[in-house]
Amino acid sequence: MGSEKLEGQVQVEWRWLIAAYLFLAGVGGGAFLTGVIADLRGGADWALVSKIGVFLGVPCVLIGTLFLLADLGRPFNAWRVWMKPGTSWIARGTIIIVLFMIFAAIQTAFWIWPFPGSIGNAHGAIAILGAIFGFLTVIYTGLLLGYSQPIALWRTALLPVLFFVSAVSTGIMAIVLIGQNQGVGEGKLALLAHIDALILVFEMFVLIMFLYNAYRTLESRFSAKRILTGAVAPAFWLGVVACGLLVPFFLELLGSGALAEGLAAVLGLFGGLCLRYSILAGGTLDPVTAAGFEFARVDRTKEPMPAMGKVPPS
Amino acid sequence: MARYGMVIDLKRCYGCYSCVMGCKQANCTPPGVFWSRVLRGEMGVFPNSVRQALPVLCNQCEEPDCMKVCPTGATYQTDDGIVRVDKDKCIGCKYCMMACPYGARYSVPEYKSYFPEGLPLSDYEKHCMQVWEEKRGCGVATKCDFCIDRRAEGREPACVQVCPGKARVFGDLDDPESEISYLIKTKRGFVLRPEVGTEPKVYYLPPR
Repeated sequence: MGSEKLEGQVQVEWRWLIAAYLFLAGVGGGAFLTGVIADLRGGADWALVSKIGVFLGVPCVLIGTLFLLADLGRPFNAWRVWMKPGTSWIARGTIIIVLFMIFAAIQTAFWIWPFPGSIGNAHGAIAILGAIFGFLTVIYTGLLLGYSQPIALWRTALLPVLFFVSAVSTGIMAIVLIGQNQGVGEGKLALLAHIDALILVFEMFVLIMFLYNAYRTLESRFSAKRILTGAVAPAFWLGVVACGLLVPFFLELLGSGALAEGLAAVLGLFGGLCLRYSILAGGTLDPVTAAGFEFARVDRTKEPMPAMGKVPPS
Repeated sequence: MARYGMVIDLKRCYGCYSCVMGCKQANCTPPGVFWSRVLRGEMGVFPNSVRQALPVLCNQCEEPDCMKVCPTGATYQTDDGIVRVDKDKCIGCKYCMMACPYGARYSVPEYKSYFPEGLPLSDYEKHCMQVWEEKRGCGVATKCDFCIDRRAEGREPACVQVCPGKARVFGDLDDPESEISYLIKTKRGFVLRPEVGTEPKVYYLPPR
């Protein structure tokens, strides 16, 4: 079991590049889902909102994938990543996001197809398929992180839930931001902002439960403390809580008009990125126990060899 | 077919770090990469406190998590139970580094020197860098392989050979007559984190 007095070993490999991918995949998937729902339930009246949501799907996930490639040690070998979907969540995830991008691209094409009569039922079917893979795109990373045996912070069923709620929220915010420029009606923007405020409440609840669970579980207590009061605390309290949740919530609930909605959207999107970063940076491997002793791991955030001094100029 | 494992006697280990240095020298590992590590632990309060060193290395698990999460199949298991990385298939995603319950996987983006920047590499370091880039590679995952090259020459793994307290024993777990099987049976050998289900093959003998 873990111990409170022993510090865990912080994982240093997955940081801002992976956080950027998680964030962009969330925005793309969430915006696409919102667009599909607006299309299927809203009809012609919500066509512009649906178009914006659907259009955001492919570019966001594609740019996110570029961040993933940038993080790889050998990116030119990346074509091999399909090989083991049987056991590896990275392989499964690649299949999921490629299928999502294909369906989202077809759905995008339907909006600019010059022969509207010939699509018919395919439109609805592709929308549903795209929505399913969009949902999987958003949550599979939570399952991928949860498969990590030594990192107790991620090994919870709440993580995919948190990613899903945050993705829908940031997706709606992205639609609102672009919708202001594209001439979506005031009434629709206000409705989206109010729906997003409700989702932010739910996101606050899930985040509190996630951190509470992390604190109560002995192995992840050091991770929870690292996020709440440790090195990750500035990114968490300023980025996630203030910018990502509280300020957008009050702006969307009490404010009205383009400035309030736009500011809430920008802050909320920034908060979504900080949320992914905080979860990754908070990940620590639990201490090792054997023969009744608890052994502290090596702190890999510090340079392994402290600088012995610079070489004097010759 | 042999199934290789290791036994580490915690009563004999006194934390001298010879295994760490022996592994480093034999495998030319760069700074920050510790295929063999020694962790320190302490129990009790002075004057009744006890200290213990715990040498850890890749456990060459029977059901390795690192192999399961590897998306390309670069991490594979040989017939004699050693888990290896095929550096031509590895993409450097570092998922295995997150998944190993023992923290036994390492990846470096480039071969850095142990000395301050600005100094030219010494001849020994140039040799080490060449060996590292030929056999392991930068940007990919690397791990202990129970010194495959030394064993091919008939020698023992480096950490086993250099241990001054003779705390480490290497052998065939499938052979009931081998020293390692005998030690595990008679001295109550245990493994680290059996609850994660990876079935590690490095056993420890209790210190008391």
